[in-house]
Amino acid sequence: MSALRLLSSAARRTPKSIPLGRRGYAEVADKIKLSLVLPHQAIFTSADVTQVNIAAATGDMGILANHVPSIEPLRPGIVEVIESGNASKKWFVSGGFATVHPNNKLTINAVEAAPLEAFSAEAIRTNLAEAQRITAGNGTEEQKAEARIELEFYEALQHAVATK
Amino acid sequence: MLARRTLARIPAQQVVSGAAPQNARNMATLRELELRLKSVRNIEKITKSMKMIASTRLAKAQRALQSGKQYGIANAELFANTTPEEVGKRKLFVVLSSDKGLCGGIHSSVSKATRAAVKEADPESPVMIVGDKSKAQLSRSIPQNIALTFNQIGRDIPTFADAAAVADLIFKSGAKYDSIVIMYNKFVSALSFEASSIEVQTETSLREAPGFQAYEMEDDVVKDLSEFALANALYAALVEGHAAETNARRNAMDSASKNASDMIGRLQMQFNRGRQASITNELVDIITGASAL
Repeated sequence: MSALRLLSSAARRTPKSIPLGRRGYAEVADKIKLSLVLPHQAIFTSADVTQVNIAAATGDMGILANHVPSIEPLRPGIVEVIESGNASKKWFVSGGFATVHPNNKLTINAVEAAPLEAFSAEAIRTNLAEAQRITAGNGTEEQKAEARIELEFYEALQHAVATK
Repeated sequence: MLARRTLARIPAQQVVSGAAPQNARNMATLRELELRLKSVRNIEKITKSMKMIASTRLAKAQRALQSGKQYGIANAELFANTTPEEVGKRKLFVVLSSDKGLCGGIHSSVSKATRAAVKEADPESPVMIVGDKSKAQLSRSIPQNIALTFNQIGRDIPTFADAAAVADLIFKSGAKYDSIVIMYNKFVSALSFEASSIEVQTETSLREAPGFQAYEMEDDVVKDLSEFALANALYAALVEGHAAETNARRNAMDSASKNASDMIGRLQMQFNRGRQASITNELVDIITGASAL
């Protein structure tokens, strides 16, 4: 009896351990055409993928095939692309726009993006400290505004790299 | 008496001046030819090295072009789905060229296309120019339309920062327009380029476009979107224009080097013939002189 209860309680607990966006159901057959492009590099060009998780300004969202057309500005955060099965790749994106088009296409124009492994925690710490210094210092309003944007970026990056 | 003597003297002088300057003329011609040969050889060296530089830059520019083009295509997807209903609105023309010359017909191609487009759209359309060469050409034909000019862009592969800076200044300038037409040179092949344009909608015309209503978004996104889209389109056009220009420069320097080596061949022939002729003349003088004794 207790074994059964244990089993059912374990089953109830497991959904939490499934990472965001990974379905426990059958494979999704429909794919969405993703174009994830940077000015200096085209990561995906009209590639069929199953799901894309983006860090939109309004919150994290997952985009599947035949998503309703929408335009989302991106905040500094992780873009995760699940091509097929459980294989997923992550990039940290500095900012840009993600647009779902009516013809089942998703275009993400990002200014800069890199895989999480490419970042060094040391460099992030140093730059974060620098940005904090300028925000609290006595530069011009423009400098402070730029530093605040940098601060937001480095905090998000630090969080992303730490919780890899 | 005096007059006849002077008259008689003049032909004599002419005869005298006939013999020595014959050789002197050959020597002067030979000296001239030598100088020309030296300068054309120097020019050939310069154009050959410029061609080498342009070839190495072209490899890099073409790699940037591939990704830049994809970037521009992804950006243009939105505008393909949201073409506005009414045409014939106020257009702002942004002309992309560069500051350096010696690249064939790059600058005049884009200037000609802009002149034709401005005439067709509205002769009063504001024009913003990136690059001193096109600025010089357009300020001769449509000086009253020029609103803003940029320079020091296009020295090396354009970066997104350049495009963003230009977009920022365009928005700050306060010119009145409903859509922005970017004129640039499209890289067609290793031998040719052609003037082309990208049209970018502004915030107001995007909102009014029928296709735009299909997209879900927050309200304040449209302004940021239009600014970002302009920067993206400018970047893609700048990169393609840079590649077209580097390619054209390589071709121009290549044909200049070929012409220079043709000229060197011809001049060398002329020089040798002239040298041999003056040697022959000297020999003839000596021999007739000797046989006269």
